[in-house]
Amino acid sequence: MDAVRLMKELRVNYEQEVDFLPREAGLDLIVSAHGGQITARSRDVTVEDLWSLTSFFGYSTQSFVQAVSLLDRFLAMMRVQPKHLSCVSLSCLHLAARVTEEECDLTPADELIRIGQCRFTASDLGRMEKIVTEKLRFKSKAVTALTFLQLYHQITLTHATYRKETLSLEKLEAQLKACLCRIAFSKAKPSVLALALLRQEMKSLQSEDMLEISFHIQRHLKIPDAELQLWSEWVARRLSDYASPKCSKPNHRKLQWIVSRRTAQNLHSHRSVPELPTIPEGCWDESESEDSGEDVMSSGDESLCSSLGSDAEGPFFPLHLRRQYLAA
Amino acid sequence: TNQCDIKLSSSNLTHVKWTPGKNLQVDLSSDLTSFQQELFCQKLQQCCTLFDFLDSVGDLKSKEVKRAALNELVDYLSTNRGVLVENAYPEITNMISTNIFRALPPSDNPDFDPEEDEPTLEAAWPHIQLVYEFLLRFLENPDFQPSIAKRYIDQKFVLQLLELFDSEDPRERDFLKTILHRIYGKFLGLRAFIRKQINNIFLKFIYETEHFNGVAELLEILGSIINGFALPLKAEHKQFLMKVLIPLHTAKALSLFHAQLAYCVVQFLEKDPTLTEPVIRGLLKFWPKTCSQKEVMFLGEIEEILDVIEPSQFKKIQEPLFKQIAKCVSNPHFQVAERALYFWNNEYILSLIEENIDKILPIMFSSLYKISKEHWNQTIVALIYNVLKTLMEMNCPLFDELTASYKAQKQREMMKEQERDELWRKLEELQVSRASEIQNNSHGSPAALNNNNSNNNNNNETLESSSDVEDTAVIMEDLHQDATDIACESVSCAK
Repeated sequence: MDAVRLMKELRVNYEQEVDFLPREAGLDLIVSAHGGQITARSRDVTVEDLWSLTSFFGYSTQSFVQAVSLLDRFLAMMRVQPKHLSCVSLSCLHLAARVTEEECDLTPADELIRIGQCRFTASDLGRMEKIVTEKLRFKSKAVTALTFLQLYHQITLTHATYRKETLSLEKLEAQLKACLCRIAFSKAKPSVLALALLRQEMKSLQSEDMLEISFHIQRHLKIPDAELQLWSEWVARRLSDYASPKCSKPNHRKLQWIVSRRTAQNLHSHRSVPELPTIPEGCWDESESEDSGEDVMSSGDESLCSSLGSDAEGPFFPLHLRRQYLAA
Repeated sequence: TNQCDIKLSSSNLTHVKWTPGKNLQVDLSSDLTSFQQELFCQKLQQCCTLFDFLDSVGDLKSKEVKRAALNELVDYLSTNRGVLVENAYPEITNMISTNIFRALPPSDNPDFDPEEDEPTLEAAWPHIQLVYEFLLRFLENPDFQPSIAKRYIDQKFVLQLLELFDSEDPRERDFLKTILHRIYGKFLGLRAFIRKQINNIFLKFIYETEHFNGVAELLEILGSIINGFALPLKAEHKQFLMKVLIPLHTAKALSLFHAQLAYCVVQFLEKDPTLTEPVIRGLLKFWPKTCSQKEVMFLGEIEEILDVIEPSQFKKIQEPLFKQIAKCVSNPHFQVAERALYFWNNEYILSLIEENIDKILPIMFSSLYKISKEHWNQTIVALIYNVLKTLMEMNCPLFDELTASYKAQKQREMMKEQERDELWRKLEELQVSRASEIQNNSHGSPAALNNNNSNNNNNNETLESSSDVEDTAVIMEDLHQDATDIACESVSCAK
């Protein structure tokens, strides 16, 4: 794709992106909510679960991003009870996958539910999908930060083809995913968020010429400096948290570990309490070296057995066996 | 210790027939009379008469009388003080030796499989049980004096006792276990000997016979001994661990004594954590390759070891260990895979993994990821999800990296596969076209062309002139060369 066409496509998407933004008021409600309602934390945890499922089933990042877009828009529009959250999120993923993935790569609904350890049925999922589709008037893919990221990436490469190896789209996608797991970023305009990510990566690569290209994009889309600056700060902070060794340990529901009956029996039977009481080893009682035939006299009643046969002396390991196990 | 109203009935002293004799009342307040003691010895001697229990109908009355007498002896010993005077010791040990030290009968079933078959029980159990009971009471009696007893309970006695551990009767072995445990506890002078003999038994079992019924019982005793080891551990004990206990894991009948064996191993590690590395390397060396049941046992043991492992020791063995675990999770046998995956349900193991996630995740990742798509068992697939999710949360960026490189690698492999297919297709085309070329040359008329497109024979069948032979030889050479080239490329691709 040549540069001109790319820029044109960029403009088109830029104009459309507002249609796919979640209602800000709705997002604010979630952020300020407490227990009993869907909170920012529960939304974030759900999105992380969506990512786990996406990764596990081999879905593309596109499916994930689309699912999150549907989810945020739905949650910002409708008051959803916390107990339905997992059903909503899974239906968003299923919908997104259906328009993104190949037919053969689609995971059936009941498998999705089983692996996601959810409590509702496939028909529940189907009904929820209908509701989501209806409310969001879902027809096709939304314009998301990923859309822009891919375009920015292509544009950059057309201007700096020698950078093909270093500016990795995969890495950018992973970073986008990290940001989408925090509801704060749902407020950002996708074009701005994507540009902030792009610039962050370019800065870390210390590439002045690529940053120049990003300026070019910013001017083309007329993105205000202040807005870009704000989101760049958020992105930087999020990415540094993400990479830090102290990953936030979400205390969400514990995973279920279901094993077969036989393994379960095995697990419970193997820890047996020993019945025989411990026999402490005396420091003076037993002969140190098996070769010594000396009587070790002690203060107590016991002394070395008087009838020392040939078995008490001699090497610890009988000769004919010693050869064998040395070879083993 | 209250004195009870104990009566020993005096019996007829003839050897063959037993008749109950007069009962003598004992004065509650007085000590045991010498008469009682004499009676005691006489009863002991009487009990040295052995009866044939394989004959189920003979001597029934006499057998019953002996049984009653043995019972009496047990009660007498258990409830009175002052029974164990010096001259009683040889009588007691003699009675016991006479009754229990015997050649064990050969097994009824020569192919006796301890896991599957019912054991052959001791026919003379009604008597022998009481003799064992008596021996135990003897050892545990508050008046028992090892300094006197050691003249009679000597190495020969112990050796014969050990031989009895090969009995098929589990009740007998259970008694022997407790008895030997007590002997080991009380006779310090016999300890080294006992350890050495057990050593011999195990080594013979591992390397020669693979048959011994009492391994579990001996290991149980050893467990209580290991538990009592003084620190620092003696070299002898460490050698025993590495040269006997670890190789013991290779036995075919491991399931019969694995619990006890694992307990011993873990006790050693609790005593001396520096033994962890050699132990785990030893287990990895003997890791079962074809027996899934054993593999599950090994995994159980590894979990027990990990439960007590020190973090510094863990670091030393994490890489080879998790390489094995990665193989286990990919094992098509679902029980093996399940058991390995279940490690991730163990909090302490998780904490160890988390601390060392940068080393462990790369090892586990590709097996887990691959098997999540390929394993036939649905329970396993669900467990793999749990494990992957847990690992992902420990280090997200690393996980992302590994995912990306895994996908890239898959892409490369797919491309190679396509290239290879392409080459073979070209080769086939080449052969076909050259074959038709030869046929054209040799006949000159298209009508006579043999449309034989088989890869092997088309060149041989249509030859007639020697010049054709030459041409063909050249072409065959070329084809051969192409094939070799492609084969070489394929090999290098595979590498």
